Amino acid sequence: MSQSGSRTARSRATVRNVAIAVLSVAMLVPLYIVVVNAFKPQQEILLSPLGLDLGTATTQFLQDAWTNPNFPVVSGYAVTLFLVVACNVVAIGVSVPTAYVIARTPTVLFRVLLMFFVAGMFIPAQIILVPAIFVLKALHLMGTLPGLVLFMSSTMIPFTLFIFTGFIRMLPRSLDEAAAIDGASQQRVLWRIVFPLMKPIVATAFILNALSAWNDFVSPQLILGPGSSFRTITTGVYAAVSSYTTNYEIVFPTLLLAVVPILLIFVLMQRHVMSGLSAGAVKG
Amino acid sequence: MARARAARVLVRRGALGRGLMTVPAALIYIGLMVVPVGYAVYYSFTSYNGIPSQTPEWVGLENYTRIFADPTGDMHSSLAVTGLIAVVGAFAVNVIALGLALLLRRTTPFTAFARAVMFYPHVLSALIVGFLWQAVLGPQGAVNNLLEGSGRSTLPFLSDPDWALATMIAVIVWAQLGVQLVLYLAGLQAVPADLQEAATLDGAGRVKVFQHVTWPALAPTVTVTIVTSVLSLLKVYEVVLGLTNGGPGDATQTWAYEILAVSFANNKVGLACAQAVLLIVVAGVLSFTIIALRRRAEEGAEALS
Repeated sequence: MSQSGSRTARSRATVRNVAIAVLSVAMLVPLYIVVVNAFKPQQEILLSPLGLDLGTATTQFLQDAWTNPNFPVVSGYAVTLFLVVACNVVAIGVSVPTAYVIARTPTVLFRVLLMFFVAGMFIPAQIILVPAIFVLKALHLMGTLPGLVLFMSSTMIPFTLFIFTGFIRMLPRSLDEAAAIDGASQQRVLWRIVFPLMKPIVATAFILNALSAWNDFVSPQLILGPGSSFRTITTGVYAAVSSYTTNYEIVFPTLLLAVVPILLIFVLMQRHVMSGLSAGAVKG
Repeated sequence: MARARAARVLVRRGALGRGLMTVPAALIYIGLMVVPVGYAVYYSFTSYNGIPSQTPEWVGLENYTRIFADPTGDMHSSLAVTGLIAVVGAFAVNVIALGLALLLRRTTPFTAFARAVMFYPHVLSALIVGFLWQAVLGPQGAVNNLLEGSGRSTLPFLSDPDWALATMIAVIVWAQLGVQLVLYLAGLQAVPADLQEAATLDGAGRVKVFQHVTWPALAPTVTVTIVTSVLSLLKVYEVVLGLTNGGPGDATQTWAYEILAVSFANNKVGLACAQAVLLIVVAGVLSFTIIALRRRAEEGAEALS
Protein backbone atom coordinates (compact mmCIF):
# COMPACT_ATOMS: atom_id res chain seq x y z
CA MET A 1 0.00 0.00 0.00
CA SER A 2 2.60 2.50 1.06
CA GLN A 3 4.88 1.29 -1.71
CA SER A 4 2.29 1.79 -4.41
CA GLY A 5 1.56 5.19 -2.85
CA SER A 6 5.18 6.23 -3.18
CA ARG A 7 5.25 4.86 -6.70
CA THR A 8 2.29 6.99 -7.80
CA ALA A 9 3.87 9.94 -6.05
CA ARG A 10 7.09 9.34 -7.93
CA SER A 11 5.39 8.92 -11.30
CA ARG A 12 3.37 12.06 -10.59
CA ALA A 13 6.60 13.93 -9.92
CA THR A 14 8.02 12.64 -13.20
CA VAL A 15 4.97 13.80 -15.13
CA ARG A 16 5.28 17.18 -13.46
CA ASN A 17 8.95 17.53 -14.28
CA VAL A 18 8.41 16.54 -17.90
CA ALA A 19 5.61 19.10 -18.17
CA ILE A 20 7.83 21.79 -16.68
CA ALA A 21 10.67 20.91 -19.04
CA VAL A 22 8.42 20.98 -22.13
CA LEU A 23 6.88 24.32 -21.16
CA SER A 24 10.31 25.82 -20.44
CA VAL A 25 11.62 24.76 -23.83
CA ALA A 26 8.50 26.21 -25.48
CA MET A 27 9.09 29.55 -23.76
CA LEU A 28 12.68 29.61 -25.00
CA VAL A 29 12.01 28.74 -28.66
CA PRO A 30 11.59 32.36 -29.86
CA LEU A 31 14.84 33.33 -28.15
CA TYR A 32 16.61 30.37 -29.75
CA ILE A 33 15.33 31.46 -33.17
CA VAL A 34 16.76 34.96 -32.66
CA VAL A 35 20.14 33.63 -31.56
CA VAL A 36 20.73 31.13 -34.36
CA ASN A 37 19.35 33.31 -37.13
CA ALA A 38 21.49 36.30 -36.16
CA PHE A 39 24.45 34.47 -37.69
CA LYS A 40 22.84 33.41 -40.99
CA PRO A 41 22.22 35.02 -44.40
CA GLN A 42 18.62 35.62 -45.49
CA GLN A 43 18.48 32.63 -47.84
CA GLU A 44 19.52 30.22 -45.11
CA ILE A 45 17.12 31.77 -42.60
CA LEU A 46 14.26 31.17 -45.01
CA LEU A 47 15.34 27.63 -45.86
CA SER A 48 16.06 26.36 -42.36
CA PRO A 49 14.95 28.75 -39.62
CA LEU A 50 15.90 26.43 -36.77
CA GLY A 51 19.26 25.06 -37.86
CA LEU A 52 22.70 26.56 -37.53
CA ASP A 53 25.36 25.42 -39.97
CA LEU A 54 28.64 26.29 -38.28
CA GLY A 55 30.39 26.12 -41.65
CA THR A 56 28.45 29.08 -43.07
CA ALA A 57 27.76 30.94 -39.83
CA THR A 58 29.00 34.50 -39.94
CA THR A 59 29.18 37.50 -37.66
CA GLN A 60 28.90 39.79 -40.69
CA PHE A 61 25.28 40.69 -40.00
CA LEU A 62 25.91 41.35 -36.35
CA GLN A 63 28.71 43.71 -37.37
CA ASP A 64 26.35 45.42 -39.82
CA ALA A 65 23.73 45.79 -37.08
CA TRP A 66 26.39 47.16 -34.74
CA THR A 67 27.29 49.90 -37.24
CA ASN A 68 23.72 50.56 -38.42
CA PRO A 69 23.32 54.36 -38.30
CA ASN A 70 19.61 53.95 -37.41
CA PHE A 71 20.47 52.17 -34.17
CA PRO A 72 23.71 53.45 -32.67
CA VAL A 73 24.13 50.56 -30.24
CA VAL A 74 26.68 52.00 -27.81
CA SER A 75 25.07 55.42 -27.47
CA GLY A 76 21.65 53.75 -27.38
CA TYR A 77 22.76 51.80 -24.35
CA ALA A 78 24.34 54.88 -22.81
CA VAL A 79 21.16 56.95 -23.21
CA THR A 80 18.97 54.12 -21.89
CA LEU A 81 21.22 53.59 -18.86
CA PHE A 82 21.23 57.31 -18.22
CA LEU A 83 17.40 57.31 -18.27
CA VAL A 84 17.25 54.37 -15.87
CA VAL A 85 19.54 56.10 -13.37
CA ALA A 86 18.24 59.66 -13.77
CA CYS A 87 14.55 58.72 -13.54
CA ASN A 88 15.22 56.60 -10.46
CA VAL A 89 17.22 59.34 -8.77
CA VAL A 90 14.44 61.85 -9.39
CA ALA A 91 11.52 59.54 -8.56
CA ILE A 92 13.11 58.02 -5.46
CA GLY A 93 14.68 61.31 -4.37
CA VAL A 94 11.39 63.19 -4.28
CA SER A 95 9.34 60.22 -3.04
CA VAL A 96 11.41 59.54 0.09
CA PRO A 97 10.72 62.86 1.89
CA THR A 98 7.10 62.94 0.75
CA ALA A 99 6.46 59.37 1.86
CA TYR A 100 8.17 60.11 5.18
CA VAL A 101 5.96 63.12 5.86
CA ILE A 102 2.80 61.29 4.82
CA ALA A 103 3.65 58.21 6.89
CA ARG A 104 4.55 60.23 9.99
CA THR A 105 1.68 62.74 9.89
CA PRO A 106 -1.54 60.89 10.61
CA THR A 107 -3.89 63.74 9.67
CA VAL A 108 -6.75 63.69 7.18
CA LEU A 109 -4.93 66.18 4.96
CA PHE A 110 -1.96 63.89 4.43
CA ARG A 111 -4.14 60.83 3.97
CA VAL A 112 -5.95 62.67 1.19
CA LEU A 113 -2.57 63.71 -0.24
CA LEU A 114 -1.54 60.04 -0.41
CA MET A 115 -4.77 59.14 -2.22
CA PHE A 116 -4.16 62.03 -4.61
CA PHE A 117 -0.75 60.59 -5.51
CA VAL A 118 -1.93 56.98 -5.62
CA ALA A 119 -4.69 57.86 -8.10
CA GLY A 120 -1.85 58.30 -10.61
CA MET A 121 -1.28 54.53 -10.59
CA PHE A 122 -4.49 54.13 -12.58
CA ILE A 123 -3.41 56.54 -15.33
CA PRO A 124 -1.62 54.74 -18.20
CA ALA A 125 1.62 56.60 -18.96
CA GLN A 126 1.41 56.38 -22.73
CA ILE A 127 -2.15 57.71 -22.67
CA ILE A 128 -1.36 60.80 -20.59
CA LEU A 129 1.68 61.46 -22.78
CA VAL A 130 -0.37 63.20 -25.49
CA PRO A 131 -1.51 66.08 -23.26
CA ALA A 132 1.80 66.01 -21.31
CA ILE A 133 3.54 66.94 -24.55
CA PHE A 134 1.74 70.30 -24.46
CA VAL A 135 2.95 70.92 -20.90
CA LEU A 136 6.51 70.08 -21.94
CA LYS A 137 6.18 72.40 -24.94
CA ALA A 138 5.02 75.23 -22.67
CA LEU A 139 8.06 74.60 -20.42
CA HIS A 140 10.38 74.47 -23.48
CA LEU A 141 11.38 70.95 -22.45
CA MET A 142 10.00 69.18 -25.52
CA GLY A 143 12.69 67.28 -27.41
CA THR A 144 15.12 67.41 -24.48
CA LEU A 145 16.48 64.75 -22.14
CA PRO A 146 15.47 66.70 -18.99
CA GLY A 147 11.91 66.84 -20.29
CA LEU A 148 11.94 63.09 -20.93
CA VAL A 149 13.41 62.36 -17.49
CA LEU A 150 10.82 64.55 -15.77
CA PHE A 151 7.92 62.91 -17.58
CA MET A 152 9.11 59.36 -17.00
CA SER A 153 9.84 60.15 -13.34
CA SER A 154 6.38 61.61 -12.87
CA THR A 155 4.83 58.31 -14.00
CA MET A 156 6.99 56.43 -11.46
CA ILE A 157 6.17 58.66 -8.47
CA PRO A 158 2.72 57.23 -7.58
CA PHE A 159 3.87 53.63 -7.17
CA THR A 160 7.22 54.53 -5.59
CA LEU A 161 5.59 56.87 -3.09
CA PHE A 162 2.91 54.30 -2.30
CA ILE A 163 5.26 51.45 -1.40
CA PHE A 164 7.60 53.83 0.48
CA THR A 165 4.75 55.16 2.63
CA GLY A 166 3.64 51.65 3.50
CA PHE A 167 7.21 50.71 4.42
CA ILE A 168 7.93 53.76 6.61
CA ARG A 169 4.66 53.22 8.48
CA MET A 170 6.03 49.87 9.63
CA LEU A 171 9.26 51.40 10.97
CA PRO A 172 9.04 52.14 14.71
CA ARG A 173 8.33 55.80 15.41
CA SER A 174 10.51 55.77 18.51
CA LEU A 175 13.54 55.68 16.19
CA ASP A 176 13.09 59.11 14.68
CA GLU A 177 11.57 60.58 17.86
CA ALA A 178 14.69 59.67 19.83
CA ALA A 179 16.88 61.31 17.22
CA ALA A 180 14.65 64.39 17.11
CA ILE A 181 14.89 64.79 20.90
CA ASP A 182 18.66 64.63 20.56
CA GLY A 183 18.31 67.73 18.41
CA ALA A 184 18.73 66.26 14.95
CA SER A 185 16.87 68.21 12.27
CA GLN A 186 14.05 66.59 10.33
CA GLN A 187 16.19 66.28 7.19
CA ARG A 188 18.97 64.67 9.20
CA VAL A 189 16.60 62.17 10.81
CA LEU A 190 15.17 61.31 7.42
CA TRP A 191 18.37 60.85 5.44
CA ARG A 192 20.66 59.55 8.19
CA ILE A 193 18.29 57.30 10.12
CA VAL A 194 15.14 56.44 8.15
CA PHE A 195 16.56 56.27 4.62
CA PRO A 196 19.27 53.68 5.41
CA LEU A 197 16.55 51.44 6.87
CA MET A 198 14.60 51.71 3.62
CA LYS A 199 17.24 49.83 1.59
CA PRO A 200 15.06 46.81 0.69
CA ILE A 201 12.09 48.87 -0.46
CA VAL A 202 14.35 51.30 -2.35
CA ALA A 203 15.87 48.30 -4.13
CA THR A 204 12.38 47.07 -5.07
CA ALA A 205 11.38 50.48 -6.41
CA PHE A 206 14.68 50.81 -8.27
CA ILE A 207 14.32 47.45 -10.02
CA LEU A 208 10.70 47.97 -11.06
CA ASN A 209 11.29 51.56 -12.20
CA ALA A 210 14.45 50.49 -14.03
CA LEU A 211 12.53 47.83 -15.96
CA SER A 212 9.85 50.29 -17.03
CA ALA A 213 12.41 52.96 -18.00
CA TRP A 214 14.57 50.46 -19.88
CA ASN A 215 11.62 49.16 -21.90
CA ASP A 216 9.76 52.41 -22.47
CA PHE A 217 9.35 53.16 -26.15
CA VAL A 218 6.51 55.64 -26.47
CA SER A 219 7.91 58.33 -24.14
CA PRO A 220 11.36 58.66 -25.78
CA GLN A 221 9.87 58.28 -29.25
CA LEU A 222 7.33 61.07 -28.81
CA ILE A 223 9.20 63.40 -26.43
CA LEU A 224 12.61 63.25 -28.09
CA GLY A 225 11.06 62.89 -31.54
CA PRO A 226 11.88 60.30 -34.20
CA GLY A 227 14.60 62.52 -35.67
CA SER A 228 16.36 63.09 -32.36
CA SER A 229 20.10 62.58 -32.06
CA PHE A 230 19.40 60.67 -28.86
CA ARG A 231 18.19 57.13 -29.42
CA THR A 232 17.31 54.65 -26.71
CA ILE A 233 17.50 50.91 -27.31
CA THR A 234 13.79 50.73 -28.09
CA THR A 235 13.63 53.76 -30.38
CA GLY A 236 16.84 52.58 -32.07
CA VAL A 237 15.39 49.12 -32.71
CA TYR A 238 12.24 50.73 -34.07
CA ALA A 239 14.24 52.94 -36.43
CA ALA A 240 16.37 50.00 -37.58
CA VAL A 241 13.67 47.35 -37.94
CA SER A 242 10.21 48.82 -38.52
CA SER A 243 10.67 49.41 -42.27
CA TYR A 244 12.54 46.16 -42.84
CA THR A 245 10.51 43.57 -40.93
CA THR A 246 11.08 40.88 -43.57
CA ASN A 247 14.77 41.57 -44.02
CA TYR A 248 15.85 39.01 -41.45
CA GLU A 249 19.53 39.81 -41.94
CA ILE A 250 18.66 43.10 -40.20
CA VAL A 251 15.87 41.95 -37.86
CA PHE A 252 17.55 39.08 -36.02
CA PRO A 253 21.00 40.61 -35.37
CA THR A 254 19.41 43.89 -34.25
CA LEU A 255 17.05 42.10 -31.86
CA LEU A 256 19.93 40.03 -30.53
CA LEU A 257 21.97 43.16 -29.76
CA ALA A 258 18.94 44.66 -28.04
CA VAL A 259 18.05 41.69 -25.83
CA VAL A 260 21.37 40.11 -24.81
CA PRO A 261 22.48 42.67 -22.19
CA ILE A 262 19.12 42.91 -20.44
CA LEU A 263 18.83 39.12 -20.41
CA LEU A 264 22.32 38.82 -18.91
CA ILE A 265 21.40 41.34 -16.22
CA PHE A 266 18.21 39.40 -15.59
CA VAL A 267 20.05 36.09 -15.26
CA LEU A 268 22.43 37.64 -12.73
CA MET A 269 19.71 39.44 -10.77
CA GLN A 270 16.68 37.24 -11.40
CA ARG A 271 16.03 36.46 -7.76
CA HIS A 272 16.02 40.17 -6.89
CA VAL A 273 13.86 41.09 -9.88
CA MET A 274 11.24 38.45 -9.15
CA SER A 275 11.14 38.92 -5.38
CA GLY A 276 11.10 42.69 -5.86
CA LEU A 277 8.06 42.32 -8.05
CA SER A 278 6.12 40.24 -5.56
CA ALA A 279 7.20 42.52 -2.68
CA GLY A 280 5.90 45.49 -4.65
CA ALA A 281 2.62 43.76 -5.37
CA VAL A 282 2.09 42.62 -1.79
CA LYS A 283 2.66 46.16 -0.57
CA GLY A 284 0.44 47.42 -3.38
CA MET B 1 5.03 81.88 28.46
CA ALA B 2 7.98 82.65 26.22
CA ARG B 3 8.89 78.98 26.17
CA ALA B 4 5.36 77.97 25.21
CA ARG B 5 5.50 80.44 22.33
CA ALA B 6 8.85 79.08 21.28
CA ALA B 7 7.46 75.58 21.34
CA ARG B 8 4.51 76.66 19.24
CA VAL B 9 6.82 78.33 16.72
CA LEU B 10 8.83 75.15 16.61
CA VAL B 11 5.74 73.06 15.96
CA ARG B 12 4.61 75.45 13.26
CA ARG B 13 8.05 75.45 11.69
CA GLY B 14 7.90 71.67 11.84
CA ALA B 15 4.60 71.69 10.01
CA LEU B 16 5.95 74.10 7.42
CA GLY B 17 9.07 71.99 7.00
CA ARG B 18 6.94 68.89 6.59
CA GLY B 19 4.78 70.61 4.01
CA LEU B 20 7.86 71.76 2.11
CA MET B 21 9.21 68.22 1.94
CA THR B 22 6.24 67.16 -0.19
CA VAL B 23 6.71 70.00 -2.68
CA PRO B 24 9.24 68.46 -5.13
CA ALA B 25 7.21 65.27 -5.64
CA ALA B 26 3.97 67.24 -5.85
CA LEU B 27 5.44 69.66 -8.42
CA ILE B 28 6.60 66.91 -10.78
CA TYR B 29 3.49 64.78 -10.31
CA ILE B 30 1.05 67.67 -10.68
CA GLY B 31 2.99 69.26 -13.54
CA LEU B 32 3.32 66.16 -15.69
CA MET B 33 0.39 63.95 -14.70
CA VAL B 34 -2.36 66.01 -13.11
CA VAL B 35 -2.12 69.09 -15.32
CA PRO B 36 -2.01 66.90 -18.46
CA VAL B 37 -5.21 65.19 -17.31
CA GLY B 38 -6.69 68.70 -17.03
CA TYR B 39 -5.38 69.57 -20.50
CA ALA B 40 -6.83 66.31 -21.85
CA VAL B 41 -10.24 67.08 -20.39
CA TYR B 42 -10.14 70.64 -21.77
CA TYR B 43 -8.88 69.66 -25.24
CA SER B 44 -11.45 66.86 -25.39
CA PHE B 45 -14.12 69.58 -25.66
CA THR B 46 -12.28 71.39 -28.47
CA SER B 47 -11.34 70.80 -32.08
CA TYR B 48 -7.65 71.43 -31.37
CA ASN B 49 -5.20 70.17 -33.98
CA GLY B 50 -2.02 70.65 -31.96
CA ILE B 51 -0.61 73.49 -34.03
CA PRO B 52 0.64 76.17 -31.59
CA SER B 53 -0.66 79.11 -33.64
CA GLN B 54 -4.20 77.72 -33.65
CA THR B 55 -6.30 78.37 -30.57
CA PRO B 56 -8.44 75.42 -29.49
CA GLU B 57 -12.02 75.99 -30.58
CA TRP B 58 -14.73 74.91 -28.13
CA VAL B 59 -16.96 72.27 -29.70
CA GLY B 60 -18.71 70.92 -26.59
CA LEU B 61 -19.39 67.19 -26.64
CA GLU B 62 -18.70 66.78 -30.36
CA ASN B 63 -15.59 64.59 -29.87
CA TYR B 64 -17.47 62.34 -27.45
CA THR B 65 -20.55 61.99 -29.65
CA ARG B 66 -18.17 61.21 -32.49
CA ILE B 67 -16.64 58.39 -30.47
CA PHE B 68 -20.06 56.93 -29.67
CA ALA B 69 -21.67 57.50 -33.10
CA ASP B 70 -18.40 56.53 -34.80
CA PRO B 71 -19.04 57.46 -38.48
CA THR B 72 -15.80 55.85 -39.71
CA GLY B 73 -16.21 52.66 -37.68
CA ASP B 74 -12.59 52.87 -36.41
CA MET B 75 -13.35 53.56 -32.81
CA HIS B 76 -15.89 50.82 -32.26
CA SER B 77 -13.62 48.23 -33.81
CA SER B 78 -10.69 49.33 -31.62
CA LEU B 79 -12.96 49.24 -28.56
CA ALA B 80 -14.01 45.70 -29.46
CA VAL B 81 -10.38 44.65 -30.05
CA THR B 82 -9.30 46.13 -26.71
CA GLY B 83 -12.26 44.59 -24.88
CA LEU B 84 -11.47 41.18 -26.33
CA ILE B 85 -7.78 41.49 -25.44
CA ALA B 86 -8.66 42.56 -21.89
CA VAL B 87 -11.21 39.80 -21.25
CA VAL B 88 -9.62 36.85 -23.08
CA GLY B 89 -6.08 37.96 -22.26
CA ALA B 90 -6.72 38.49 -18.54
CA PHE B 91 -8.52 35.15 -18.29
CA ALA B 92 -5.80 33.23 -20.16
CA VAL B 93 -2.92 34.93 -18.35
CA ASN B 94 -4.43 34.23 -14.95
CA VAL B 95 -5.42 30.62 -15.61
CA ILE B 96 -2.03 29.76 -17.11
CA ALA B 97 -0.08 31.65 -14.45
CA LEU B 98 -2.01 29.97 -11.64
CA GLY B 99 -1.53 26.55 -13.23
CA LEU B 100 2.20 27.18 -13.58
CA ALA B 101 2.41 28.47 -10.02
CA LEU B 102 0.88 25.23 -8.72
CA LEU B 103 3.31 23.30 -10.92
CA LEU B 104 6.35 25.31 -9.80
CA ARG B 105 5.29 25.74 -6.22
CA ARG B 106 8.05 23.77 -4.57
CA THR B 107 11.46 25.46 -4.65
CA THR B 108 14.15 23.30 -6.22
CA PRO B 109 16.97 24.37 -8.54
CA PHE B 110 14.90 23.00 -11.42
CA THR B 111 11.74 24.97 -10.58
CA ALA B 112 13.83 28.10 -9.89
CA PHE B 113 15.25 27.77 -13.40
CA ALA B 114 11.78 27.19 -14.87
CA ARG B 115 10.39 30.24 -13.05
CA ALA B 116 13.11 32.42 -14.55
CA VAL B 117 12.39 30.97 -17.99
CA MET B 118 8.67 31.75 -17.64
CA PHE B 119 9.50 35.27 -16.48
CA TYR B 120 12.16 36.36 -18.95
CA PRO B 121 9.80 37.77 -21.64
CA HIS B 122 8.76 40.41 -19.13
CA VAL B 123 12.22 41.99 -19.06
CA LEU B 124 12.04 42.51 -22.83
CA SER B 125 10.39 45.62 -24.20
CA ALA B 126 6.89 44.98 -25.59
CA LEU B 127 8.04 46.53 -28.87
CA ILE B 128 10.87 44.00 -29.17
CA VAL B 129 8.49 41.17 -28.23
CA GLY B 130 6.28 42.31 -31.11
CA PHE B 131 9.13 42.38 -33.65
CA LEU B 132 10.41 39.04 -32.37
CA TRP B 133 7.10 37.24 -32.86
CA GLN B 134 6.55 39.00 -36.18
CA ALA B 135 9.79 37.35 -37.35
CA VAL B 136 8.61 33.98 -36.00
CA LEU B 137 4.98 34.01 -37.15
CA GLY B 138 4.93 36.42 -40.10
CA PRO B 139 3.99 35.24 -43.62
CA GLN B 140 7.67 34.55 -44.29
CA GLY B 141 8.51 33.87 -40.68
CA ALA B 142 10.24 30.88 -39.19
CA VAL B 143 7.12 28.79 -38.53
CA ASN B 144 5.65 29.26 -41.99
CA ASN B 145 8.98 28.47 -43.62
CA LEU B 146 9.14 25.26 -41.64
CA LEU B 147 5.60 24.36 -42.71
CA GLU B 148 6.40 25.11 -46.34
CA GLY B 149 9.64 23.18 -46.14
CA SER B 150 7.80 20.09 -44.92
CA GLY B 151 5.28 20.39 -47.75
CA ARG B 152 2.36 21.72 -45.73
CA SER B 153 0.41 24.89 -46.38
CA THR B 154 1.29 28.02 -44.46
CA LEU B 155 -0.87 29.43 -41.66
CA PRO B 156 -2.13 33.04 -41.72
CA PHE B 157 -0.99 33.89 -38.17
CA LEU B 158 -0.68 37.59 -38.92
CA SER B 159 -2.30 37.94 -42.35
CA ASP B 160 -5.88 36.92 -41.55
CA PRO B 161 -7.83 39.40 -39.37
CA ASP B 162 -9.18 36.81 -36.91
CA TRP B 163 -5.93 34.86 -36.77
CA ALA B 164 -3.96 38.07 -36.25
CA LEU B 165 -6.02 39.09 -33.23
CA ALA B 166 -5.78 35.59 -31.73
CA THR B 167 -2.03 35.55 -32.38
CA MET B 168 -1.63 38.93 -30.75
CA ILE B 169 -3.50 37.84 -27.63
CA ALA B 170 -1.32 34.72 -27.45
CA VAL B 171 1.85 36.81 -27.76
CA ILE B 172 0.67 39.17 -25.03
CA VAL B 173 -0.12 36.19 -22.80
CA TRP B 174 3.37 34.77 -23.50
CA ALA B 175 4.93 38.09 -22.51
CA GLN B 176 2.86 38.74 -19.39
CA LEU B 177 2.28 35.40 -17.72
CA GLY B 178 5.61 35.55 -15.86
CA VAL B 179 4.59 38.57 -13.82
CA GLN B 180 1.35 37.00 -12.71
CA LEU B 181 3.17 33.71 -12.05
CA VAL B 182 5.45 35.51 -9.57
CA LEU B 183 2.43 37.06 -7.87
CA TYR B 184 0.66 33.69 -7.61
CA LEU B 185 3.80 32.06 -6.21
CA ALA B 186 3.97 34.76 -3.55
CA GLY B 187 0.28 34.26 -2.84
CA LEU B 188 0.67 30.50 -2.52
CA GLN B 189 3.28 31.02 0.20
CA ALA B 190 0.62 32.75 2.26
CA VAL B 191 -1.75 29.76 2.07
CA PRO B 192 -1.76 28.24 5.56
CA ALA B 193 0.15 24.96 5.23
CA ASP B 194 -1.43 23.39 8.33
CA LEU B 195 -4.88 23.84 6.83
CA GLN B 196 -3.83 22.06 3.65
CA GLU B 197 -2.27 19.25 5.64
CA ALA B 198 -5.34 18.90 7.83
CA ALA B 199 -7.58 18.74 4.75
CA THR B 200 -5.35 16.08 3.16
CA LEU B 201 -5.34 14.05 6.39
CA ASP B 202 -9.12 14.26 6.45
CA GLY B 203 -9.05 12.48 3.12
CA ALA B 204 -9.72 15.42 0.82
CA GLY B 205 -8.37 14.90 -2.72
CA ARG B 206 -6.10 17.40 -4.45
CA VAL B 207 -9.04 19.01 -6.23
CA LYS B 208 -10.97 19.38 -2.98
CA VAL B 209 -7.98 20.87 -1.18
CA PHE B 210 -7.51 23.38 -3.98
CA GLN B 211 -11.22 24.22 -4.10
CA HIS B 212 -11.78 24.64 -0.37
CA VAL B 213 -8.40 25.74 0.99
CA THR B 214 -5.95 27.02 -1.63
CA TRP B 215 -8.31 28.94 -3.90
CA PRO B 216 -10.16 30.82 -1.11
CA ALA B 217 -6.85 31.70 0.55
CA LEU B 218 -5.55 33.08 -2.76
CA ALA B 219 -8.41 35.59 -3.00
CA PRO B 220 -6.36 38.75 -2.28
CA THR B 221 -3.74 37.65 -4.82
CA VAL B 222 -6.40 37.03 -7.44
CA THR B 223 -7.69 40.58 -6.96
CA VAL B 224 -4.21 42.01 -7.51
CA THR B 225 -3.52 39.83 -10.56
CA ILE B 226 -6.86 40.62 -12.20
CA VAL B 227 -6.54 44.36 -11.65
CA THR B 228 -2.91 44.53 -12.82
CA SER B 229 -3.50 42.35 -15.86
CA VAL B 230 -6.65 44.20 -16.93
CA LEU B 231 -4.95 47.58 -16.45
CA SER B 232 -1.96 46.55 -18.54
CA LEU B 233 -4.13 44.90 -21.22
CA LEU B 234 -6.27 48.03 -21.64
CA LYS B 235 -3.24 50.06 -22.73
CA VAL B 236 -1.63 47.56 -25.11
CA TYR B 237 0.21 49.55 -27.76
CA GLU B 238 3.88 48.72 -28.32
CA VAL B 239 3.35 45.03 -29.02
CA VAL B 240 0.82 46.03 -31.71
CA LEU B 241 3.38 48.32 -33.30
CA GLY B 242 5.96 45.55 -33.50
CA LEU B 243 3.73 42.60 -34.33
CA THR B 244 1.09 43.83 -36.79
CA ASN B 245 1.16 47.63 -36.88
CA GLY B 246 -2.61 47.40 -36.38
CA GLY B 247 -3.25 45.23 -39.43
CA PRO B 248 -4.37 43.49 -41.45
CA GLY B 249 -6.75 46.41 -42.05
CA ASP B 250 -7.67 47.57 -38.58
CA ALA B 251 -8.07 44.05 -37.16
CA THR B 252 -5.54 44.54 -34.35
CA GLN B 253 -5.83 48.27 -33.73
CA THR B 254 -6.25 48.73 -30.00
CA TRP B 255 -7.68 51.71 -28.16
CA ALA B 256 -4.21 53.03 -27.31
CA TYR B 257 -3.15 52.49 -30.93
CA GLU B 258 -6.19 54.49 -32.04
CA ILE B 259 -5.22 57.36 -29.71
CA LEU B 260 -1.50 57.50 -30.51
CA ALA B 261 -1.08 56.19 -34.03
CA VAL B 262 -4.38 57.31 -35.59
CA SER B 263 -5.91 60.37 -33.88
CA PHE B 264 -2.78 62.01 -32.45
CA ALA B 265 -0.62 61.11 -35.45
CA ASN B 266 -3.19 62.81 -37.69
CA ASN B 267 -3.18 65.95 -35.52
CA LYS B 268 -6.67 65.31 -34.16
CA VAL B 269 -5.60 66.31 -30.66
CA GLY B 270 -9.14 67.08 -29.48
CA LEU B 271 -10.38 63.64 -30.50
CA ALA B 272 -7.26 61.90 -29.15
CA CYS B 273 -7.79 63.60 -25.79
CA ALA B 274 -11.46 62.60 -25.65
CA GLN B 275 -10.43 58.99 -26.34
CA ALA B 276 -7.70 59.26 -23.68
CA VAL B 277 -10.09 60.69 -21.06
CA LEU B 278 -12.54 57.88 -21.77
CA LEU B 279 -9.81 55.25 -21.44
CA ILE B 280 -8.67 56.69 -18.09
CA VAL B 281 -12.26 56.72 -16.82
CA VAL B 282 -12.83 53.13 -17.96
CA ALA B 283 -9.54 51.97 -16.39
CA GLY B 284 -10.42 53.65 -13.09
CA VAL B 285 -14.03 52.44 -12.99
CA LEU B 286 -13.05 48.88 -13.94
CA SER B 287 -10.32 48.72 -11.28
CA PHE B 288 -12.59 49.92 -8.53
CA THR B 289 -15.41 47.64 -9.66
CA ILE B 290 -13.12 44.62 -9.59
CA ILE B 291 -11.73 45.59 -6.18
CA ALA B 292 -15.25 46.09 -4.80
CA LEU B 293 -16.54 42.83 -6.28
CA ARG B 294 -13.55 40.94 -4.91
CA ARG B 295 -13.97 42.27 -1.38
CA ARG B 296 -16.30 39.47 -0.37
CA ALA B 297 -13.95 36.77 -1.62
CA GLU B 298 -11.11 38.44 0.30
CA GLU B 299 -13.11 38.48 3.50
CA GLY B 300 -13.41 34.72 3.07
CA ALA B 301 -9.62 34.54 2.82
CA GLU B 302 -9.22 36.48 6.06
CA ALA B 303 -11.59 34.10 7.81
CA LEU B 304 -9.38 31.22 6.69
CA SER B 305 -6.10 32.47 8.09
